[in-house]
Amino acid sequence: MVCTGCALLCDDIEVGENDCRHACRIGDAHITSTNQIDPMVNRSPVDMDTAIKSAAEILVSAEKLVFVGFGNLVTEAQATGIELAEKVGAEIKTFHTGIFDDILDGRVKTCTLPEVRDYADIIIFLGCDPMNTHPRLLSRYAYYPRGEKRQHGWEEDRTAITIDPRFSHTASICKDSYVIDPHRQIEFMDALMDALLSKVPKTAYDKKRILKLAGTLKKAEFGVIFAGTGAAAPPRDAIIRLMDRLNESSDFRLLSLAPGYNLRSIAEQLRQLHSRPTDDCDVVDSDSNSGGSNGGDGGIDLHKADCILCLGFDLMNSLPAHGINGKLIVIDPNETLTSRYADVVIPCAAGGIDAAGSAVRMDGEPIELPLIRESGRLSDVAILKRLLEVV
Amino acid sequence: MKLEFGEFLAAPECKVVIVACPDVFRTEAGLRHGKFSSEYRELSAVIVLDPTDMAKIEVKDSDLVEVLGEEGVVIVRVKESEKEHPGIGYVPEGAWANVLGAGPASAKVRRSQQGIAAIEDVYHR
Repeated sequence: MVCTGCALLCDDIEVGENDCRHACRIGDAHITSTNQIDPMVNRSPVDMDTAIKSAAEILVSAEKLVFVGFGNLVTEAQATGIELAEKVGAEIKTFHTGIFDDILDGRVKTCTLPEVRDYADIIIFLGCDPMNTHPRLLSRYAYYPRGEKRQHGWEEDRTAITIDPRFSHTASICKDSYVIDPHRQIEFMDALMDALLSKVPKTAYDKKRILKLAGTLKKAEFGVIFAGTGAAAPPRDAIIRLMDRLNESSDFRLLSLAPGYNLRSIAEQLRQLHSRPTDDCDVVDSDSNSGGSNGGDGGIDLHKADCILCLGFDLMNSLPAHGINGKLIVIDPNETLTSRYADVVIPCAAGGIDAAGSAVRMDGEPIELPLIRESGRLSDVAILKRLLEVV
Repeated sequence: MKLEFGEFLAAPECKVVIVACPDVFRTEAGLRHGKFSSEYRELSAVIVLDPTDMAKIEVKDSDLVEVLGEEGVVIVRVKESEKEHPGIGYVPEGAWANVLGAGPASAKVRRSQQGIAAIEDVYHR
């Protein structure tokens, strides 16, 4: 079975009657979760048909309509969601997809997770803490395993380093860590870029340590940066500039550690459909989040939307959602903070658990998601198709 | 008569920058017990502070503090940090951190006499 608890899409999960073998804490809880919701309209239980009809009525009457999320939908549901958005004139806002756009546009080099396992000798965790977000990344690919050219694994063949505003759990097991000021991340990145040119950086950070870091990075045979997409990560353009500088003297690849198991797929689909980058809203990204706005780079500000359709996305638990007053429609397998406040709630089967489908792993590998168990719940694809028929 | 903070005296405050961080145990609790559970609340309504900042506001580990952010106020439990990071408060990602504003957000922290509110009371719509 495949776990859809995060974008690693671990495919070695064995689900028994009473246990869930090989899954991490997140995966086990995700697969065995029972916090399901009932269809609701105006916070009162209704039947599915009524909930879908009410959602359709709101969708057709809205003028400033935004669809948010998509990262926790199977690929097929994402495609239907895009179709529905085009039909009702909705804007699509995906979050945390910026680095995927850079990768898909060829602005930075990337690689697959098995290549990380087989070849990576220097691994940087930049503004991310996979021990808390992608718990099996280090054991399956990035640090501990023996790879084709890294037979000695983490003990001798790999050096893992964290650069983060916190001494995280990941930092505690890495060989070196750099704790950076959350307001001075660009200063650190610029200092590192100077050091990579063998210049003494002008910075209040420890210059010797930055020069030492640059020396380590320059020796990489196959370097990989895992970049976070939240507030703890440096701005995207700084990451891209660092990648360019690193690749002047060594060989580095970038992979994005974003929330949601299928974000790469929606980034790919939107890029193919519109031949343009998605309206990326890394809302907690320091350079794209002025004044707590959820508008991202253009498009409808969520505060000004008169209807927001949350697709597998707990909006109110994910963003500073103050003052969002538009109608809220939620399609989600589980009860969320947003579903508690939504005008319409439509429960769906969860991708890879009680709904089969496909997804794209964070490194671009297509993965089939078989059914783990039958539940009788409608899949997100089926719900979106029904909405598509009636709007 | 002994004067207590909050009666006639303002509790001492310190300024911190709030950084939201992931926490696998909190994510697990949200999935296993639900986002309205006490387990999830206990793991979400937390701020990790440097001991020097804790001394400034006269609180110890597990005390409750009021965090006054740019966009809202929350009551959370203090956890003493094992590493030095004066001026920075780490809050688990999620509703409580979001109430304070988009990170990294500036905030003031002071001792609180109130308890941690339920998630429904943290967010109003």
